[in-house]
Amino acid sequence: MKLSDIIGNSGLSIYAQIALVIFVAAFVAILIWLFRPGSTERFRRDAQIPLDDETPVERRTPPKDDA
Amino acid sequence: MSGSAALATPPSGAVLEEFSYDDDIVRKFLWATVIWGLVGMLVGLVIALQMANPWFNLGLEWTSFGRLRPLHTNAVIFAFGGNAFFTGAYYSTQRLLKARMWSDGMSKFHFWGWQAIILAAALTLPLGFTQAKEYAELEWPIDIAIAVVWVVFAINFFMTMLRRRERHLYVAIWFYIASIVTVAILHIFNNLSLPAGMFKSYSIYAGVQDAFMQWWYGHNAVAFFLTTPFLGLMYYFMPKAAEGPVFSYRLSILHFWSLVFLYIWAGPHHLHYTSLPEWASTLGMLFSVMLWAPSWGGMINGLLTLRGAWHKVVDDPILKFFVVGITAYGMSTFEGPMLSIKSVNALAHYTDWIIAHVHTGALGWNGFITFGMVYWLLPRLFQAPLHSKKLMELHFWIATFGIILYVLAIYSAGVTQGLMWRAFDETGRLMYPDFVETVLRLLPMYWVRVVGGSMYIVGVILLLYNLIMTWRARPGRYEVPVVRAAALTPRYEGPAEAPETGGVISRISGMRYHRKWERLPVTFTVLTTLAVVVASLFEILPTFLIKSNVPTIAAVKPYTPLELYGRDMYIAEGCFNCHSQQIRPLRYETERYGEYSKPGESVYDHPFLWGSRRIGPDLARIGGKYPNLWHVRHFENPQEIAAGSIMPSYPHFSRHAIDWDALAKRVGTMAMLGVPYGNAVTEAIPMARAQAEEIARDIEAAGGPSGLADREMVAIIAYMQRLGRDISSTASRVAP
Repeated sequence: MKLSDIIGNSGLSIYAQIALVIFVAAFVAILIWLFRPGSTERFRRDAQIPLDDETPVERRTPPKDDA
Repeated sequence: MSGSAALATPPSGAVLEEFSYDDDIVRKFLWATVIWGLVGMLVGLVIALQMANPWFNLGLEWTSFGRLRPLHTNAVIFAFGGNAFFTGAYYSTQRLLKARMWSDGMSKFHFWGWQAIILAAALTLPLGFTQAKEYAELEWPIDIAIAVVWVVFAINFFMTMLRRRERHLYVAIWFYIASIVTVAILHIFNNLSLPAGMFKSYSIYAGVQDAFMQWWYGHNAVAFFLTTPFLGLMYYFMPKAAEGPVFSYRLSILHFWSLVFLYIWAGPHHLHYTSLPEWASTLGMLFSVMLWAPSWGGMINGLLTLRGAWHKVVDDPILKFFVVGITAYGMSTFEGPMLSIKSVNALAHYTDWIIAHVHTGALGWNGFITFGMVYWLLPRLFQAPLHSKKLMELHFWIATFGIILYVLAIYSAGVTQGLMWRAFDETGRLMYPDFVETVLRLLPMYWVRVVGGSMYIVGVILLLYNLIMTWRARPGRYEVPVVRAAALTPRYEGPAEAPETGGVISRISGMRYHRKWERLPVTFTVLTTLAVVVASLFEILPTFLIKSNVPTIAAVKPYTPLELYGRDMYIAEGCFNCHSQQIRPLRYETERYGEYSKPGESVYDHPFLWGSRRIGPDLARIGGKYPNLWHVRHFENPQEIAAGSIMPSYPHFSRHAIDWDALAKRVGTMAMLGVPYGNAVTEAIPMARAQAEEIARDIEAAGGPSGLADREMVAIIAYMQRLGRDISSTASRVAP
């Protein structure tokens, strides 16, 4: 009996159900994490990241080709 | 380049560093995006014309629909979409992480490597070098090059993350990470194959399993090459253009994780009613339907970013592009789950409906997000005002109406053909038994598509013109803005964190570990990878390992050496782009094509050739249906046999000699993959010659041309005559 025969007969069709349980659990965990107390302020700050990334202190034109 | 110089210590105690961003690489990718986009869409126009009138195949072997269609899909997905993603990613990643790319050299290698790969694709696909897997057609040497370039991109990206000056990874970066990691996994595992020559290989998977792997890949190419990268771009450029933060950051996180968890499962919906085991197909359907929620959450999040700024949309064509682009994302992600429902899929599968669905997403979502982003970047990258806002506005309108014309025509073509295939008359016979009738009905719609697609292309030409004119107004030397930010301290001291009082419970309740892992890009990447890999394995392992999934059929034998050679011609010509080899267990299918396809019938099919579209009829049981001479005449001039057929002609089959050495080598490679060829490995050439002579004699005896015994024509006919006959080998094997 080959290894593939053993695995082939070991009832893997329940995998889908197991996976579903794992994934729902992960989803619920993410939801809890998202709405945990005190997270609002932090997410508000994170959302601003793309908006405050263009604050150059000076503009330089390089003396030589900078390509 | 400009180095990081430590400055005077600011009040907070952190050390400020000065640095600049590499925008040169962004400019390079931007040019590539627009130019390849135009090329890819022009190839699309050519194949659209070929469907409206076969004359546009030009009678050349390199320009037939079967060879150009993969060129179109590869060019628009990987050349246009890929370069667009890289343009936006290189621009936004540096700014979101407040760090220059780790290595300018690696960025350049990524750029030139990717363009070289595109060039290699543009050369090899018309020459007929293909693996026959949709969106993974490129042969093994190019696949290796893709893997190398991708890994260099990934290393450069992750090293930049490690050296970043911004604690939190903005959600756009999450989407980039997921895309980079998942595309690598998909690419490697779907392309595993055994070479049988410099530009020839056989997939290590066969039949049902190969089909499963291909659509696990194919669907996730849509997910992780055309969806998540562009969502990353949306989450960066939409707030930029709207000048306000994203509507809900929470929703964007939920959007991210839901997509990463769900998308990986959805692939089997491309294989409804095929030989794929039903549980896998049902699983794919369920996960596809679940995708509805996060996709629409993302769409709403994108659109509501404009809250309080809707008036700007009137004046700003960039916002118009984004609004229509995000709406198209919503439309196609509404339609996708709907199409994955089996009963809807039964009508839509193999028809133009799928083509319309894809183009809503590609032209609307990917195209418009790209155009909006490019127009937003133009003045910033080339440091000159946009040449013409009027032309940008015109681009928006002409492209929008182009999309509408395109998809309306092709939706109605799809539904029309789907309904005609399944129509029975009152006596219970097929109403349109002649396949070509269902094609002729679509030709007016195909011409409307040509018009709509051309309008879209005119829009891209306007963009190219605007790009050239803006570029010409650039300054003699680009200014390099210098940015100042504090380096990250090795250990994060968050704002006002509660002092650790010791004990496991207080640590958990303090949620400190959460903050820790999301600050660590490596951990985050591992989690994302885990989500994708676990989901894949849960679906792949049972498909491969449960024996009952593919019941063996004793009568099914490997192809003879000559038939195998003919099969490779079928692959090289891209016949699978128009002909399926998979009869679904539906009455109108079995009535038209014969007994439905069984999983055991394709166990020796490396790769599988089930196809995804029926521009011509299914060929799963074509074997023995017509005499050999009929096939000769049909290949040389299809219109002579079936008036109105839009099939290209293949007169070169009668000209090209069979490459006997290649044939022997391929049989050997197949045997190495486990196909039981026995002594056929050593006897391949004499066996093939004998079969070739037999077919050539039959053609000559029937009044056809002579001297075909060493021509490729007999090989493809041998393959045609073999298709679908094994399961009824004793009953119906009549002399053709």
